[in-house]
Amino acid sequence: MTTALTSTFSNLFDPVRLFGPIFDKELRVSSRRKRNYTLRLIYVILLTIFVAIVWLSVVKSEGSSAYQKSRLALAGKTIVTTIVTFQFIATQIIAVIMLSTSISDEIYHRTLGLLMTTPISSFQIVMGKLFSKLLQIILLLAISLPLLAIVRIFGGVPWDYVLSSLCITLTAVIFAGSLSLYFSINNRRAYVVIIKTVVTLGVLFFFIPLITTALLRPLWLSATLFRNPVTVLPLLIALLHVNPFGAISVNTAMMISPTVAAMLPFAPTGISIFYWPLHCMLMLGASALLIAMSVKVVRKVALRQAVGQIDSVSNRMRAKKSKKSSRRHAEQQDLPSVIRRVTGSPVLWRELRAPMIQGAEGRNSIIGLAVAIIALLITYGTCENYLDEAFTQMGYVMMFTVIGSVFTLVLSATSITTEKETRSWPILLATSMDDWQILLGKAIGVFRRCLPIWLLMAGHIFLFICLKYIHPVVILHMPIFVTGLVVFLTGAGLYFSARFKRTTSAVIACFALALAFWAVLPGVLGLVSMITHDYNIVADLVSANPAAQIAILMGGAGGKWNARAGLSNLTFAWPDSSWHKVWPTTGLVIIYMMIYTVSGVLFGWRAKCRFRRNVF
Amino acid sequence: MIETKNLTKNYGELTAVDDLDLTIKDGDIFGFIGPNGAGKTTTMRILVTLLEPTRGSAFINGLNVAKEGKKVRRLVGYMPDFMGVYDDLKVFEYLEFFAAAFGIERKKRKSIVEGVLELTDLESKKSATVDSLSRGMQQRLGLARVLIHDPKVLILDEPASGLDPRARIEIRELLRELKRMGKTIMISSHILSELEEICDHVGIIEQGRLVFSGTLEEIRPRLGIESKVRVRVADHQDKAIELLSALPQVSRVQALGGEIAVTFHEGKNADGIVARTLVNAGLDIISIQPERLKLDDAFLQLTKGVVH
Repeated sequence: MTTALTSTFSNLFDPVRLFGPIFDKELRVSSRRKRNYTLRLIYVILLTIFVAIVWLSVVKSEGSSAYQKSRLALAGKTIVTTIVTFQFIATQIIAVIMLSTSISDEIYHRTLGLLMTTPISSFQIVMGKLFSKLLQIILLLAISLPLLAIVRIFGGVPWDYVLSSLCITLTAVIFAGSLSLYFSINNRRAYVVIIKTVVTLGVLFFFIPLITTALLRPLWLSATLFRNPVTVLPLLIALLHVNPFGAISVNTAMMISPTVAAMLPFAPTGISIFYWPLHCMLMLGASALLIAMSVKVVRKVALRQAVGQIDSVSNRMRAKKSKKSSRRHAEQQDLPSVIRRVTGSPVLWRELRAPMIQGAEGRNSIIGLAVAIIALLITYGTCENYLDEAFTQMGYVMMFTVIGSVFTLVLSATSITTEKETRSWPILLATSMDDWQILLGKAIGVFRRCLPIWLLMAGHIFLFICLKYIHPVVILHMPIFVTGLVVFLTGAGLYFSARFKRTTSAVIACFALALAFWAVLPGVLGLVSMITHDYNIVADLVSANPAAQIAILMGGAGGKWNARAGLSNLTFAWPDSSWHKVWPTTGLVIIYMMIYTVSGVLFGWRAKCRFRRNVF
Repeated sequence: MIETKNLTKNYGELTAVDDLDLTIKDGDIFGFIGPNGAGKTTTMRILVTLLEPTRGSAFINGLNVAKEGKKVRRLVGYMPDFMGVYDDLKVFEYLEFFAAAFGIERKKRKSIVEGVLELTDLESKKSATVDSLSRGMQQRLGLARVLIHDPKVLILDEPASGLDPRARIEIRELLRELKRMGKTIMISSHILSELEEICDHVGIIEQGRLVFSGTLEEIRPRLGIESKVRVRVADHQDKAIELLSALPQVSRVQALGGEIAVTFHEGKNADGIVARTLVNAGLDIISIQPERLKLDDAFLQLTKGVVH
């Protein structure tokens, strides 16, 4: 009886049985890939560096042993929160990238239709793909467990915090991964999937809460004033429970200070505002919904492929739409369908013919959405009277820079791997075009496709210069800054795109490089400087960080008071005080731009050298 | 036109092409035959500058492919054994893109593209997107792309694979047309019966080594195969047998019902010799048919079926 029950249960929860042979196959394949082991190694190194930085910054060597002991609890808390935050962000990024080609690979290798001729169900296909990749990420989470367990010895970190944060991270990863998998059904290119997923997550978890908070502000004020939480509290609690970023923040805040309820002054005492199991259930529910949608769409696509129609659902919808619109157009103007003639560099022409968003309607809606988001953000700033603050302008410029950088990085990292995956790369290389021509065409193509973002930033800066919220010197500094950044990111992206065969590897390598340059290296040098007490190198590296540069440049020239100040009165907070004035600052920005440009060109040159290696 | 000397390509410990010496004359159609994994595709990829040889050298029109890649690429049109397409382009745009990539001036491109579309019978599809084309149409488009810069040499890796019989016949006709236009064509295929109909020369490769190179006629003596001619005369069959048996080139003459089977030591112009002998003797010939050696048989005899 016991044996029969055990056997039934083990059969029921056997992952291979539940997720089908796809899961098994994916695990076998991934165990043979070196990159997964490399990823784990890099993850452990990064984790160790972050923990070491936190340890050295919290536990000072000075002071009595009693003081040292009292600092241990604080160190424990800080290390645990660092690990939790690091893995919460890192695992989501990895999940989005890993699952960005999960279904599209099967579609375009024409194996999805083949799978439909076997007894494997579309549910097993989706679950097999999703959970085989998630298992890799769970392994990453598991790597940190021994460290979390050791740190607990210092005291101050309850077990339930470790458990709850892991659950919140895991459910957030499942949701982000499911979303990426869903988008991968209808999009061939990994970068489109990554960008769509990141934008969707941004809208769901940042933009909507921000706007809702702004709209609720009057109610919030009255609730605080009259201690009447009934009107706002349920909505805010609901928002918190469907937002993993809010959830992890509140969960951590509750661990650090159990009286976190005081953060919401209108919350009645004694009422816990956040239940992590409820949040996890909601996230799992949302993921299940996405998985169900994916199963439905995968089946349609697979059946279509099995009967020889290989195009994806979105392509078909697009084709239907374009048929309708072209018929309408032909009726109106009696013209044949448009053939665009090749002008200028063929590679550049081709890059610009593959828009990020297919179809005029889709493109217009995305542009409309972007403009609406910016308008709403500016309205929010106006309502809150934040626009005249240097910090607000810094935030806006930072937002444009981050979006522009991510797009530049992703587009350049995918520009050659996409051709390798569609097997058009050898054919392009067999033409009489120079390798430099191909490289330049690709690089300019990336810039041209990201240009709308930089133009939006320029528009924002001009608008607020006219409104006297930003000093005009920014017109000099920002183009120099953006030039260096764009050349560096494009060069690095193209290098990794030429270096790797797979889009996901190239994108992960690019993000790892950015992380290494701008976070890990300063961190490591920070550690060294803590030992040697020489902080100059760290200061230089921090100044070279684009985020730090934006903060310094906009902090010195943004805001009402700076905008109205004379050139000689502007002060920029570089770590080295000799650069504080405008012209030294301009010189420094030019130096950093040149360093980034030279590095970008070197990467580009290396990319060119790798063009004809491992073509097939 | 195409020449390789001790051409060798190693992938780690695997030798894909092993000391390959090959010569293809100007204006020839050269059939490159071998089992899967024999090294055909690797050789072709080296010739089109997509791979670098480990050792040895290859020349096209006297240009070293490893050193003068750009010049070689101008001379060569390469059609790989896969269809790498830019799926979001239309047929005309796809071809014009490659015309631009080969540096053809903008004002000349339209007429050139229309010319190759006409040659490959794709005019009706010029506004269709590339990924909406059938396999056969995509193969034709591949050929059209190869022709866009009017190369002297065409290197075609299994251009007829996966095509239906009609499409295969059309491609064969197109290749004949290209030969008439003076192109040198190197073609690999597994459909040997088709190659023997269009190729002037064949090269058989196995385990990276060339086991035979020459015309189909040259294969017979290499394999020790005798030529046969079957002839039917209106009357006086015995006299015909007597006359043919007396010929010094003939090894054996047999009567097979109404036919006479004549076996020759040497294969050259055997049917001509038979016809001339009988006509000179005043005999009426009803039919005369040389028995051809099939490329499949030669392939089976020359190769062992060993793959890397």
